[in-house]
Amino acid sequence: MGFSTILDILASVIIGGILLTIVLRLSDSAAEKTYNFSGELSLQQNLVTIAQIMESDFRKIGYSKDWVSWKMHPSYETPITEADSSSIKFYADINNDGVMDVIHYYLGPVSELASTPNPRDRFLYRVVNSEAPVGVNLGVTEFFMNYFDALGTPLTLPIIAPSLIASMEINIKVENVQAYDEKYSSAFWRQIRLAARNLQYR
Amino acid sequence: MSGKAILLLMMGFSMLFMVIANNFHGVSGQMTDNYVDYFNETTAYNIAVSGANLAANTVFINPTWTTGYNQPYQNGTMNVSVTILDAFKNIRQIESVGSFNGKTSTVRVIIAPSNFAKFAYYSVSEGTNIWWTDKDSVWGPFHTQDILRAYRKPKFMGSASSKLGIQHFTSAALDAPEFHRGYESGVDLVIPLDAVTSLKAPSLAGGLYFDGNEAGKSTIHMQFEYDNLLYRYNTTSPFDTLHLPTVAPNGLIFVENGTVRMKGTVRGAYSVAVSGTSGSRGSVFLDGDIVYETDPRINPASTDLLGIIAQKQVLITDAPPNYTDINIHASILAQDEGFGAENHTGRPVSGNLNLLGGIQQNIRKAVGMFNSGTGLYLSGFAKNYRYDDRLGFASPPFYPGTGGYEIVSWYE
Repeated sequence: MGFSTILDILASVIIGGILLTIVLRLSDSAAEKTYNFSGELSLQQNLVTIAQIMESDFRKIGYSKDWVSWKMHPSYETPITEADSSSIKFYADINNDGVMDVIHYYLGPVSELASTPNPRDRFLYRVVNSEAPVGVNLGVTEFFMNYFDALGTPLTLPIIAPSLIASMEINIKVENVQAYDEKYSSAFWRQIRLAARNLQYR
Repeated sequence: MSGKAILLLMMGFSMLFMVIANNFHGVSGQMTDNYVDYFNETTAYNIAVSGANLAANTVFINPTWTTGYNQPYQNGTMNVSVTILDAFKNIRQIESVGSFNGKTSTVRVIIAPSNFAKFAYYSVSEGTNIWWTDKDSVWGPFHTQDILRAYRKPKFMGSASSKLGIQHFTSAALDAPEFHRGYESGVDLVIPLDAVTSLKAPSLAGGLYFDGNEAGKSTIHMQFEYDNLLYRYNTTSPFDTLHLPTVAPNGLIFVENGTVRMKGTVRGAYSVAVSGTSGSRGSVFLDGDIVYETDPRINPASTDLLGIIAQKQVLITDAPPNYTDINIHASILAQDEGFGAENHTGRPVSGNLNLLGGIQQNIRKAVGMFNSGTGLYLSGFAKNYRYDDRLGFASPPFYPGTGGYEIVSWYE
């Protein structure tokens, strides 16, 4: 084996090593990016789904298909029965069947999802009437609301008189439930002013 | 040989990069699709809401309009129809469908004729220096054609509106009314000039009609006694008795160009209307309590309902028994003037004015006077007004309408 052969082998080993390193780096990077991209896609789909459901529910506050009966209902005057920074309970005919439903949105504690890698995610509960609360982990880390009266003045929390609420601001932040190397992606949605029409036409 | 290997290596890398890039592009595309879908849905919804608003505005301007729209709007399409749900009650539905990039959204608005009985308080003129203060609470819908003058934080528990906005005594921060069911400014809602006189025709067709133009019959004394109406034209004559379900099956009692003095206990739903403008004609004087047989506060199923509709004014008579409280169960409308107490400055301190119903008037009138320093009453009544919640969905027969519609339900 001559000197040149040894050099060839050494060069091959070095080039092969470099190529192997590149492949491994590429593989790692590809895995990370795929993980993050998929995670972002998932959380954005979650966010849009949450936003659509909430908008649909909140726009129906105080609505009833059977508006004649609803006008005689004791809660007609105050369709929003409870309102706080991270919870709200209201009457709405969600199914458009003439029967008023009580909808309750509230944020669960962080401890409920201690088993997930993300330390901030929580359940956002949507409870209809007296059904048992069922948590679905969509990666919600923040849910807070602000309320405004008929003149657009912010109402002080906690809301003592929910009947003063004329419009509201909804804020939701979602993050990946788990992320590559704990680099969590996040997405934020804010409905700046949601004014349920039936609050105006009481 | 090594050339081939390098070529294969390069092809392998290229394939790998292409697969990864394709995956990334796919994910990125789906993310964009996600937001585009949300945008499309939101735009379709906005188009539908715009269609509903446009149609509602058109119906308010032209109450018979049922043509609808079907036209492009905001790069989408707007399809609006108006259907009559109940021809007798004239209840209509506006359905607006907005379409944008394959997404559709529907808004359904139900509108019903509006009448003045729904107002707990309505006025054309509030007077130059009368303020709603933090001691005032209005239960039920409120509207004034004037400025709503607010001192500190008056409470409006029902929907509130004014034509000329809000005047704050000191500042908007300090004098902020509490609107528990919203507030709208710029709402123009006038009492029709024929609100009272137009009631003559229905009174002649199924109602009870009195002609105040006949000699000796300009003033009519009415006493409701459940299903019966006792009446006479002077205090020295005996009462004649009419069975109201028989003589006024449509519930309307109309006195043309006369004066009505009334009291009693009402069973069923009736409206008493009086026209006239000269002297005391067109006025209603309340000579004593006028109350429902079944108080709706005790029994919400009560069907007793009374409307007192005067072309001129409605006054509480300055005479006993009105010196020791008065109870009034009615929705009261005074087209040209207002509701108040006769001789409010000179009459004795008369206790409480307990009103269950609503007041709609042209000009605010006083019912008493009090010492602003001590708060003690010097004459007349202390006000104790309570809105009859049933007036939100029911009204006395032939109670004057606003001529327009109100939105009673909005689905989206």
